[in-house]
Amino acid sequence: MKVEGTRRYEAPRDRVWEILNDPVEMAGLMPGVESFEIVDETHWKAKVKVPLGLGSMKMSIDFEKTESRPPEHASLQAKGKGVGAIMSMETQFDLAEDGGATDMRWQADVRILGQVASMGQRVVQPIVNQQVEQVLTALDKRVAVKAGEA
Amino acid sequence: MTTTAPEQVEAPQKGFAGESIPRKEDRRLVQGQGVFFDDVKRHGMGYVHFVRSPYAHAGIVSIDVSAAEAVEGVYGTLIGEEVAALTDPFFEMSTPPGNEIRDYALAVGKVRFAGEPVAAVVAETRELARDAAELVEVEYEPLEPVVDAVAALEPGAPVLHEEAGTNVVWSGTFEWGDYDEALAEADRIVRIDRLYFHRFSSTPLECAGALVEYDRGTEQWTLHCNHQMPGIGIVWMAPALRVGTDKLRIVTQDIGGGFGNKITLHPYFVALCLLARKLHRPVQWTEWRTDQHTANTHGNERTFLDVEVPVRSDGTMLGFKVKAVDDAGAFPRYEPLGCIIWAQVTPGCYRWRHVRVDFTQACTNKSPTAPNRGYSRMQQLWFTERVIDVVASELGLDPVEVRKRNYIRADEMPYETPNGCVYDSGDYARCLDIALDLVGYDSLEERRRDAESRGKLLGLGIGSTLDSGTNNFGQSQLLNPELQFSGNNEVATVRLDIFGEIVVTLGTTPQGQSHETVASQVVADLLGVTPNDVHVRAGHDSYWNSHAGFSGTYASQFAVTGLEAVRGATLALADQIRRLAAIILGAGGPDDIVLEESMAKRRDMPEAALPFMACGAIINVNNAGLPPELDDVTLNCRYVYRPPFEVPDIERKFGNLTLTYATQIHACVVEVDPETGVYEIVDYAAVDDCGTRIHPQIVEGQVHGATAHALGAAMFETFPYDENGMLLASNFYDYHVPHALDMPPLKTGFIESPSPFSSLGTKGMGEGGGAGIHAVCAALQDALRPVGSPIVTESHNPYHRVWELIRDPAASRAGIEVSGA
Repeated sequence: MKVEGTRRYEAPRDRVWEILNDPVEMAGLMPGVESFEIVDETHWKAKVKVPLGLGSMKMSIDFEKTESRPPEHASLQAKGKGVGAIMSMETQFDLAEDGGATDMRWQADVRILGQVASMGQRVVQPIVNQQVEQVLTALDKRVAVKAGEA
Repeated sequence: MTTTAPEQVEAPQKGFAGESIPRKEDRRLVQGQGVFFDDVKRHGMGYVHFVRSPYAHAGIVSIDVSAAEAVEGVYGTLIGEEVAALTDPFFEMSTPPGNEIRDYALAVGKVRFAGEPVAAVVAETRELARDAAELVEVEYEPLEPVVDAVAALEPGAPVLHEEAGTNVVWSGTFEWGDYDEALAEADRIVRIDRLYFHRFSSTPLECAGALVEYDRGTEQWTLHCNHQMPGIGIVWMAPALRVGTDKLRIVTQDIGGGFGNKITLHPYFVALCLLARKLHRPVQWTEWRTDQHTANTHGNERTFLDVEVPVRSDGTMLGFKVKAVDDAGAFPRYEPLGCIIWAQVTPGCYRWRHVRVDFTQACTNKSPTAPNRGYSRMQQLWFTERVIDVVASELGLDPVEVRKRNYIRADEMPYETPNGCVYDSGDYARCLDIALDLVGYDSLEERRRDAESRGKLLGLGIGSTLDSGTNNFGQSQLLNPELQFSGNNEVATVRLDIFGEIVVTLGTTPQGQSHETVASQVVADLLGVTPNDVHVRAGHDSYWNSHAGFSGTYASQFAVTGLEAVRGATLALADQIRRLAAIILGAGGPDDIVLEESMAKRRDMPEAALPFMACGAIINVNNAGLPPELDDVTLNCRYVYRPPFEVPDIERKFGNLTLTYATQIHACVVEVDPETGVYEIVDYAAVDDCGTRIHPQIVEGQVHGATAHALGAAMFETFPYDENGMLLASNFYDYHVPHALDMPPLKTGFIESPSPFSSLGTKGMGEGGGAGIHAVCAALQDALRPVGSPIVTESHNPYHRVWELIRDPAASRAGIEVSGA
């Protein structure tokens, strides 16, 4: 399942890059993160609680930064495991400066396997959309705060 | 004991056969006193949960069960490596290289479909086993899956079974008659580039499962289970477990529906046998509903390519040519038998004489396929029915007339098909007339106008189906001449016990087909008693002496194999009773004795009568001084019925593959909303001809059930997979099975064309439901004529697909071509 989009942030590119490339910052933006651990510069782990219809599913996710060209492009791979589900995601973003603002183009290819996937796109697609929207909105706020701090 | 059939005796003129007597099974079932395998409990038993693959295709790097085993209350585990060490792969029926496939009880080395069991966990409760299973760590190396059989045959497609080196399970051509001659004789040739029969399955109320005990002293397993074909089940299991078949005792009592998908349970059962032996305790497994959808066997999906139909201008069908690609899923568990079983009904109900079929079966990363109510014939019959309606549409002919012109006629019975099958009896045209009458065919045009006035499109469709029963397993040799299977058999024992009880045991495994009732009717008529006097043992037990290589309940055969065995054993018992009574009563000989009112009476002096109770007592407990000519009289008679089959001609792929052919002709009237594609079945008739009916109400019940199955498949039931090989209908929310409110008002009719090949005139029945799928497809195609005449090319037509046909009729017609010869 591929999701993609563009987003404009009223902050300089370096600011946005800083947040997006700081795993601790990002962990703070992701919904349902229960614990977070940095393994090394390019690898980190998180335990996440994903809302799923009537209940929620706990997933342990391994992240790996696969490409980084500051301050314009990065790509990330995530592999998650939970009860009845295996998730893999490849995501990348490009940042372009536009005056004092930053335009972000992002895309993610999410694969979900296991019983959860069997529930079909009907359930999974809205959840992925919702999760992405929550991250982007939180990022909006965080960028605004950071811009204010500067 | 005797295994030879004695001379025939006449059944009473008016007997219990033919009457809808109260079902013997109902009292216990209605009162909740049935015994299903899940009702069987044992001290100290453990509950099994299977760890299943989330991947459709992946290598197994490692399996770590230590965390699961450390949980208190977990009794133990089993993984594929142990299975590979302790068992041999199940035998494969195909020819090389398809038979190189290695299929074990658990995945060994790699997984080939999502839901494939990779490990098993046993714990003191079912819930704990399930929770502990989550602690089993399996590391996978994902591989690219292939989820379409046609794609699986392309060069470069991912290969599921490296041992075979190909995804082809079986491939072959069938050439009967003279197809080139048919082309030469034709006025027109209709070509259809693709027809597609979709994947679905039956969803029995009772999921699969077993309680398995291992006796360390006798080294024998007992399986209390719901296997529906124990005869063949143990033939798969015993060699895998490296034991003789006597080491596997299979016991069933009540089974909550089978439909075919309880035939291929052997991988699970072998895993349970290993666990029971390893853990020194009985183990029980009940399949979860989601697993039933995901990993129990599905019905075969079949794509028909490059169809060519030579016809005369008047609609006379001369032959057909087709390339069929069948999807076996990840393992050929009952396959490749589906590659030949369709040939039982090669020309459907029609007089096609010239046939060329190129048949290939491929593995895909989906759940394995196996019999499902109408196994392999349903697909072929749907194909023939679609061809009839497409040809009628393209030549501007009336589908009713085309059918009548091409149906095999009653006066041609018994009819030999181009491949040597013998249709025993039937009158398709008469069944069709009854069906049309039931749905008010005469006023069809009026109803079309009425529907039109309400903004709806009305259409009529016909589904003609044959339910071929009593297999000749020799057909397997047409796939692989090395296979040592042919003929068929079933066993019954009938005995007269000490107090005159008549006790019947069957080799069959009824799943709702009322064998106790029907067998008691047949026995009662032959012995001159009532069905109340006949005690038919419930279920199956391979400890009973009523068990043979093909024992089971499958493929529409009880009314022939089961009842012939019952009849044979009962006739043998009747003969022994008469011989005994002749001596005791001083009659001239057995022929001077008649059996009536539970007594053996002298024909010339009916007051000289020996009650059955006395007969039973004399032989069993009061037998001193009996003359030597009664030495062989045991009043305990076993009979093995063997249908009169020959091994088919392997060179020509020719021979009789089934003994009886029941007929079902359905007529369906739909109303379609052209704005949305939503449609409703507003009238429906099912006409059945299964020869002589022993219990008409039971036949009618099966007709209703089979029709519901078919309408479900036509409208709601489908097992789609995404590109990753994930099943998208793993629960009843996504997989809608029709319930009472989804069923149209059902009108039924019948005729009886007794089979000349069964003593009772009966034919196996119950699988003819495919007719509903054909009828709905045909009715939709008829209804949509005013909106661009789209052609229905798929068997599954949910509302959105109908809407697509309305929106773009040309797309559906793109693959249809008519040319002059």
